[in-house]
Amino acid sequence: MAFLKVHNLTKTFGGLRANSKITFSMEQGELMGLIGPNGAGKTTLFNCISGLHSVTSGQIVFAGEDITALKAHEVARRGLARTFQVYVASGDLTVIENVMVGCFMKTHLRSRARARATEILEDLNIDDLSDYLVNELPVAAQKLVTMATAIGSDPRLLLLDEVAAGLNPNEIEGIMATIKHVHDGMGITVMLIEHVMELVMKISHRVIVLDYGEKIAEGDPEAISKDPRVIKAYLGERYVREHGAGSSEQWAGTSEQGVESEQ
Amino acid sequence: MEALKNALDFSDFPRLDLFIAGAVGIAFIVFPFFPHSSFAMATMIQFLMFSLYGMGWNTIGGYGGQVDLGKAQYVGIGAYTTAVMLIRWDVPFWVSMPIGMCFSVIWSFIIGYPLFRLKGHYFAIATIATSLVLKDLFEVWDFVGAARGLEISPIKYHPPDFLRLIFKEDVYYFYVILVFFFVGILYMNWFRKSRLGFQLRSIKDNEDVARSLGINVHWAKVKTYAIATAFVSMVGSFHACYIKCIEPEDTMSLDISILIALMAMLGGAGSLWGPIIGAGILIPLKSYLKEWLGAQAGMVGIDLILYSLIIMVISAFEPRGVWGIVEKIRRRKRN
Repeated sequence: MAFLKVHNLTKTFGGLRANSKITFSMEQGELMGLIGPNGAGKTTLFNCISGLHSVTSGQIVFAGEDITALKAHEVARRGLARTFQVYVASGDLTVIENVMVGCFMKTHLRSRARARATEILEDLNIDDLSDYLVNELPVAAQKLVTMATAIGSDPRLLLLDEVAAGLNPNEIEGIMATIKHVHDGMGITVMLIEHVMELVMKISHRVIVLDYGEKIAEGDPEAISKDPRVIKAYLGERYVREHGAGSSEQWAGTSEQGVESEQ
Repeated sequence: MEALKNALDFSDFPRLDLFIAGAVGIAFIVFPFFPHSSFAMATMIQFLMFSLYGMGWNTIGGYGGQVDLGKAQYVGIGAYTTAVMLIRWDVPFWVSMPIGMCFSVIWSFIIGYPLFRLKGHYFAIATIATSLVLKDLFEVWDFVGAARGLEISPIKYHPPDFLRLIFKEDVYYFYVILVFFFVGILYMNWFRKSRLGFQLRSIKDNEDVARSLGINVHWAKVKTYAIATAFVSMVGSFHACYIKCIEPEDTMSLDISILIALMAMLGGAGSLWGPIIGAGILIPLKSYLKEWLGAQAGMVGIDLILYSLIIMVISAFEPRGVWGIVEKIRRRKRN
């Protein structure tokens, strides 16, 4: 049975169809990419799955349980964590305290939450940042902290919303290694929204493409990069010309180029 | 056991802070042995009471970021429970205080459950409204003395009466509230490190993030509101025995609600010492301004002008109050 199954999911905001009849499923241990132009409904899909939005119609099944009608905190307690695209931390919490909030989902004891948070920070190699306030850190480190916080809740499935946005190529290398570690080393199933093609095409087992709220393609990275609908909707003719279609080794461009060439 | 350990553990504060806090604590304990005016003593008691109100407010308002401007209703519930039970049935303070806390907590669930569906300013306004409605109800409710209020007449008792908390000298009241004050600090020290404390700070940060970390945001707020309420109600009960004369107009007025919130914000919302610092600045200032400028020079309302000035200064310069400034300076030095 599929680990995560989304069936005919539709979400409308007034007259706007943000997600329209999206169906896909995901196996445990998979690493899946979710791409598409801005406004395609990627984050809305994440919000629906994680319970922040109530869905208009359709069904979401996670680990054999129908979670469609559950509230966000109930979904989280079943082992489905997520990060946010824009998350500006307030001046109140330090890095380790942030991660502890996540860890407190599984324990009432501060000492245990603290120990677990320290473990995660060490695992992600950011334990030297423990006592900084999150907004004192560079963006790349903030992204790692939001990932660490989500991991603190000990999820089985982790949804990452644009963790590589706004990072330089070096930092993208770093976060790619981290995602791989979270997936392979920690054994967490990962689904990620990403505009950085280099990252998403390199590490995903499978990619889903959204456009105008609909799923227009699904397949392995190689097939996706050759798919004419995807090229038309998102990657762009120039992008494919410059970087060549098919070989995932050549995905050196960043999102800006891809999005630019849409016009 | 870990809760107790956390409550007693202040080791995450810099040594200087602990030294100052310890020195101030000892100064409070020995204060009555030094010559002082009764006015100074009354101000001290007011300061301790308002510190406790502020600590209560700080749980939901400071750590949770939910600006609550209706705390006076719980002062009223606490005070009235104690006064009514003492006058009508001669129930001692130590029994009526917990009962008052229960009433307050029940009331806080009744209004907190729907109120926390509201956010930001709407929540603040709704808390004012419930507080005023309750005050109006008490003003027409004959059982509790209506607008005339209630008077605990000390002649009926034999002070010092430790069971009913009826004393002739203020110094007894001072020590009782000082014990409450120290226990309050320990409780707050536990609270800020507890799971609920962490959850609230996350909620203040971003509610969606909090939800996605498995936090039941609405329930966490309602629970914390009940804790804040219990604090305020406890001091309200004390207030009844101390002042001995309570009426809706001064125990449940909007002034008190605003003063409670203002103090915590001035000192530093969301920090352990904030409400105490805030009360330490505002209460003496208020008392002396009233005494000197208000009564003698006939400038009634000068304290209100002062409050509004403080609100403007805080919101313009440092939303995290005096303690926010201290922390800012420290961080700058460290980095």
